[in-house]
Amino acid sequence: MTVKFPSPEWLQTLYEKLNSDERYAQIARKWEGDILVVIEPSGPLNEKLFYYLDLWHGKCRKTEILKDLPSIKPKFILTSNYENISHIMKNKLDPMQAMLTRKLQVHGSMAYMMRNVPTVLDFVRCAREVTTEILS
Amino acid sequence: MQPILKVNLTTGETSEYIIPIEWERDYIGGASLAARMLYPILTADLDPFSPESPLLFLNGPLSGTAGPTVGRFVVCGKSPATRLWAESNCGGFWGPELRFCGYDGLWITGKARKPVYLWLNDGQLTFRDAAAVWGKDTYEAQSVIKSDIGVPGIHVLTIGPAGEKGVKFAGMYCDHGRAAGRTGLGSVAGSKNLKAIAVKGTKKIPLTHPIDFAPLRSASNRFLREDTVSQVIHELGTAGIANYSDYLGGTPKKYYHQGIFEGVDKVSGSAMAETILTGVSACHACVVACGRVVRLEDGEKRKGPEYETIIGFGPNFLNDDLAVIVRLGEICDRLGMDTISASNIIGLAYHLFEKGIISEQDIGFALRWGEMSGVEKLLNLMARREGIGNIMADGSRQFGAHFGAEDEAVQVNGLEVAYHDPRGVSGMALVYATSPRGACHNKSDYFLVDWGQADTSIGVQFIGRQAGAEKSANVAHHQDWRSVCDSLVMCLFGNVPAEMVAGLVNAACGYDYNVNDLLRCGERGWNLKRIINNRMGLTSSNDKLPKALLQPLADGPAAGYVPPLEEMLTAYYQARGWDPETGKPTPKKLAELGLEWVAQDIWK
Repeated sequence: MTVKFPSPEWLQTLYEKLNSDERYAQIARKWEGDILVVIEPSGPLNEKLFYYLDLWHGKCRKTEILKDLPSIKPKFILTSNYENISHIMKNKLDPMQAMLTRKLQVHGSMAYMMRNVPTVLDFVRCAREVTTEILS
Repeated sequence: MQPILKVNLTTGETSEYIIPIEWERDYIGGASLAARMLYPILTADLDPFSPESPLLFLNGPLSGTAGPTVGRFVVCGKSPATRLWAESNCGGFWGPELRFCGYDGLWITGKARKPVYLWLNDGQLTFRDAAAVWGKDTYEAQSVIKSDIGVPGIHVLTIGPAGEKGVKFAGMYCDHGRAAGRTGLGSVAGSKNLKAIAVKGTKKIPLTHPIDFAPLRSASNRFLREDTVSQVIHELGTAGIANYSDYLGGTPKKYYHQGIFEGVDKVSGSAMAETILTGVSACHACVVACGRVVRLEDGEKRKGPEYETIIGFGPNFLNDDLAVIVRLGEICDRLGMDTISASNIIGLAYHLFEKGIISEQDIGFALRWGEMSGVEKLLNLMARREGIGNIMADGSRQFGAHFGAEDEAVQVNGLEVAYHDPRGVSGMALVYATSPRGACHNKSDYFLVDWGQADTSIGVQFIGRQAGAEKSANVAHHQDWRSVCDSLVMCLFGNVPAEMVAGLVNAACGYDYNVNDLLRCGERGWNLKRIINNRMGLTSSNDKLPKALLQPLADGPAAGYVPPLEEMLTAYYQARGWDPETGKPTPKKLAELGLEWVAQDIWK
């Protein structure tokens, strides 16, 4: 099955992956908090996308495509443009490299983020693994 | 640049030294310019503790402005620990205040007949009796001198008891606990009977194009405020990196001999932020504010430790008690000793004790990993050169050698290795082996590049963290850029794009430099320091790593790996244009950098 990023089908497939992946369940077992991935338009993407994921103890409780920033602020907001995000999805850009080189902005508790980087990296692994095609 | 104030402590004479304009253009300022100024003086037979031995305090062209993270100064000379080039830079407000006095530097030689401190009030320098503060710790000395002078807004740079006693890793301290910690220049000040330097100025910082400078510095500070790395450092301090460093196997434990210690999480910047942190502190005009303010059980507010101190007194001893680390860091600051070297040397004592090379008879008490009372006792013994502390005060190389175990000391050329393990981040292997001041992590914080902070605008690519010779040229580029930062004197935590830095330098100095021009200045400074060291006896055989870092760890994220140092060095010499046999810059490279004038000194 083709799962094209970004799309509602892709987000649904990621939801299923996060709830079935044993490695993610183990690494993210202590993670508590929702994240919003904000993808700024660039290249082939013409609109701003807001992908919401409620992550809890190694599982994903909910995903949603929002039209704007939610009224209740999620624990983390990760913002980047589509070009950088697609490079991350294609494994051409390491997520930490993106953060360290100003290609990915992170808003939220840095204390929580810095002690849970392995969870974020494994979340990205899952996202990469469900992606079979990328908008180009 | 403004003049440099020369002070002879023996005669009491002072004079103004004007920096040749071409040196300003070629070396920018700070450490590289200091290398050019001190080049004729730093010779193999110069005794670092002799009156002739210089202490040169320099600022950079951005120091004291409201530019991004440019509140630092550097002090340079010859290190008593390494007997090589010495430089150590320091934040706070002292450097900018010196510039407000109308001087971009202080060049001190000679030896006072009795302990003195200097008081520079705008342009006026006076020598003052330091009898009342000699023997006092750095916090007390700052406080007493401030009230002695009685002028508001004074900033005091001082040594502690360790500097007075000639401890070879003694530093200089200002603005409470801001430290020029490395290479032992505090003991050089002590050897001159110079306790402190107090400064207060009112003059304006000279800028060639102030109208161009203002929007650039606003934009760069705005940039820093929005930068995620800066936010991490602001919220968590430099120890915010501890968890991730540990995850990648870059955090040493048990004196570099163990790969796993669960307690890292309890002492990280995140843990500090969630427990004892009560506020932050910043250097002059800095928007990052990496300094920590913490409160322990006694209710008193204290300086909180940064990454190196946390790892040095934490996982290095298998200690996970953050409050103990805070107290040990404060003891070092008060006594005036570098926390990296001090914790490393005591780590060596624990290691030698475990191996049975030293015993309770040698020390006076037992040393067991995780038991920290021994660390506190040894800190005090070292600072006062009492008992075993007298041997340890000469540094880990001499301490190990005294017991026939020099190769157990985790040091390079006499400077103790900082807390970024090259088995987890291999770029640090080259950084430690080739740094001009011994095993320094700041001449290139390449561990960040190994994590992904690869800035292509300075020619640095992201290569795997345990890669080998393929990253050698990258390391050289990064060292050149950090050499630029050391010239400015700009904090490494100012994650500002290189183009922005070039714009600020041009507006401040009236140059038309691009990033490559700056890199060329950095490369020139790096090579000149190398040549100074070559002249003082350094050869390619000094470019090495200690035994511990060339043995694989049995466990943890870096288990089984050792950096291929020889291959990396071969590629590094090639990238640098250095002779593969001697490790000296070739005549061709010297000509490229406009350094032909030193060729006869190293190629006789």
